[in-house]
Amino acid sequence: MIWMRSLLTIAWLAGAVGASLAAQAPATTNPFEGEPDAVRTGMGLYRLNCADCHGVDARGVRGPDLTEVWASGRTDAGLFSTIRNGISGTEMGPRTGPRGPRDDEIWKMLAYLRTLATPTLTLSPTGDAPNGERIFRQNCSGCHRVMAVGGRLGPDLSRIGSSRSRATLVSTIREGARVQSDSGYAPVTLTTDSGQAMRGVTKNEDLFSIQIMAVEGRIQGFEKESLEALDKPTESLMPAFGRDRLSDSELDDLASYLETLRGFDPAVP
Amino acid sequence: MRLTMIVVSGLLLIAAAVPTTAIVGAPQAVPGRVTAEEILEGLPADGSRWLTFGGDFANQRHSPLTEITLENVDRLIPQWTFQTNTLDDFETTTLMRDNVLYVTGPSNTAWAIDARSGREIWSYRRELPLNLTACCGLVNKGFAMLGDKLYLATLDAHLLALDMSTGAIVWDATMEDYQVGYASTIAPLAVDGKIIVGVAGGEFGIRGFIDAYDAETGQRVWRFYTIPGPGEPGNETWSGDSWRTGGASVWVTGAYDPEQNLLFYGIGNPGPDYYGAVREGDNLYSASLVALDATTGELRWHYQFTPHDVHDWDATEVPILADIEIDGRLRQVVMFANRNGFYYTLDRTNGEIILAEPFVRTTWATEIGADGRPVLLPGNIPDEEGEITCPDLTGGTNFWPPTFDPVTQVFFVNARESCMTYYAWEQEYIPGQRFTGGAGERIRDDPEMPLYGALRALDPATGERLWEFRYPDPSSSGLLSTASGLIFSGDADGNLLALDSRSGELLWRYQMGSRLHGTSPITYMLDGRQHVLVPAGTTLTAWALPE
Repeated sequence: MIWMRSLLTIAWLAGAVGASLAAQAPATTNPFEGEPDAVRTGMGLYRLNCADCHGVDARGVRGPDLTEVWASGRTDAGLFSTIRNGISGTEMGPRTGPRGPRDDEIWKMLAYLRTLATPTLTLSPTGDAPNGERIFRQNCSGCHRVMAVGGRLGPDLSRIGSSRSRATLVSTIREGARVQSDSGYAPVTLTTDSGQAMRGVTKNEDLFSIQIMAVEGRIQGFEKESLEALDKPTESLMPAFGRDRLSDSELDDLASYLETLRGFDPAVP
Repeated sequence: MRLTMIVVSGLLLIAAAVPTTAIVGAPQAVPGRVTAEEILEGLPADGSRWLTFGGDFANQRHSPLTEITLENVDRLIPQWTFQTNTLDDFETTTLMRDNVLYVTGPSNTAWAIDARSGREIWSYRRELPLNLTACCGLVNKGFAMLGDKLYLATLDAHLLALDMSTGAIVWDATMEDYQVGYASTIAPLAVDGKIIVGVAGGEFGIRGFIDAYDAETGQRVWRFYTIPGPGEPGNETWSGDSWRTGGASVWVTGAYDPEQNLLFYGIGNPGPDYYGAVREGDNLYSASLVALDATTGELRWHYQFTPHDVHDWDATEVPILADIEIDGRLRQVVMFANRNGFYYTLDRTNGEIILAEPFVRTTWATEIGADGRPVLLPGNIPDEEGEITCPDLTGGTNFWPPTFDPVTQVFFVNARESCMTYYAWEQEYIPGQRFTGGAGERIRDDPEMPLYGALRALDPATGERLWEFRYPDPSSSGLLSTASGLIFSGDADGNLLALDSRSGELLWRYQMGSRLHGTSPITYMLDGRQHVLVPAGTTLTAWALPE
């Protein structure tokens, strides 16, 4: 009975603390930064809540690389708000309500992320962005869309500047993209029963059927048993742009242009 | 006014079977009470009912019905579809009696449905507190029924008795305080006038238990703590005070052997899940199968599949009982495909291991030794840097029910091939908060560790794989087998599948629009036609051959 009463007291205290925290405006700097216990707790919380999309090393999987967010100008308060409220129109939803993290838990995740953060950008923004945009239109926009202009075969890049570091952009362009099998961009070639050969990317698939976007942009599905051939090459449809196709200076310009693509006003912290 | 109406239309009331027998005096008109004998009989040859989670107390889920065959299964057509209009999905096994279906949905919703038309007769919904601690979805695995009542375990850790005719609450028993991490998602089991239930919460630092309640009154008859207290045998397998928060939850329905009067329940993982340094020892009876006296709740024997588990491998899979011939002897066995990647055939009279063989890729143990303990391989203790182990935390299989054909003596299970990088770190226990001490990252797109699923047919006398049907992604569907040689399953992409249970050949498929996650189809006769009922996502669909 005493045990029950003390539990109730703890539950009440936890509720009271939670309520008072919720009533206050969040701090503008991280109250837990550098505290070893908070960093350890934050690591656990990060891996449970964030690592699926952002990677255990925070270098990005489906979600953005988080190691350069401070170096690129984001603030503690801005990142707190992003975690709490999410980013509209993306997989990053709001985390509010009784099942969402407490304020102190968000700060602890940020305290952990801070330990993984690069102090300065891996590659400094140099290059001529307007020229980069011209290069993009000539080489990339056939497959990639920016602000509703361009092709649809590859990922929409309207926010790529905020979701990938400059270093990742540069290496992906030089070395070619690695594509996950369930990303919606895995390459596929097939031959229909009438002998028509098609090339594109896999949008969905099960044991019996496959849904593709062909290179010309048409989406359609096929019953597998009606196909003469079905092949899934491992190499992405995005070619590697070696120095023979894109000089170092052109790549620098292109990366500078891509970094401007943030899908939001970068003046907001 | 009401009395007048009853007197005037008395004959009509008798025909409609309204329970006003005290006035009209026609006991034969009252809906038949579900008897213990009926449940004991399991699935009858006439296909008229499905009264308990596994079809019978042995959990075989094997129907004697033969109207739907290998030859005509591809002619199945939908009879009706029922929609839950809920956000979350079914994880339930439907019960059927007197041409009425009783089904539980997510967030403690439930319905009685006319099996002929798919139309609702009554619905039940429990308002739930916002601060529920249920870890893994607001799900429920089904009703138990006995007498004129249905029994429902709730997400806020209550056990309810509902009136079968109206869905009204008859009694409401509190199992434990949901605010400190307890929940319940299990389908209860009605045994000998008692309702057997367990609690979820293994990720919240609970101390697990199995309870028995009087089916009529809701009074608790016994409780078996799955973690022994101080002074009880087994408490020494938990270092310090770790037994208080050691988890060992019970969220999947067990089996019952009436001859021995024994219940068999699989017990969940120890907590914190991945960080074992704070709970040194074997951590009994986590990750074990326990055999309990159904009258008293006393432990008769136990077998621990995974001593000191650090991979979240709950032994909350469905045990199946059968008498099978092994090496020329008829053995009373319990069969168990475990999340840890091993399949076990145990002697159910004493817990002795008859055989234990991997049924998926396992990298943490080479075999189960003569002493019954796994022979461990190094490099499988999670830490902050991460260790790769197969299977992943979801396991070689999980809570979705397997099935067993007693004629061919074959065990069928939806198996998973998957590996994971497991991480662990020390974590403070806070009542009502998640207490896992780690996490895992599934390995994808690695040809060395391919991720896929397979429906596998196993010989329980040898552990040998007889056939498999591969899925590109692991399935979490429960199974149904029939005496006509069919097996019904589902894949991860929403396909309902019918296969030849002797060969694994695919005979028929239909895209349901949602996977069967933890649910199993059931089958029964209705107006002389065999039906197959399939819960998938938020729909319940009845199938039959054309008239």
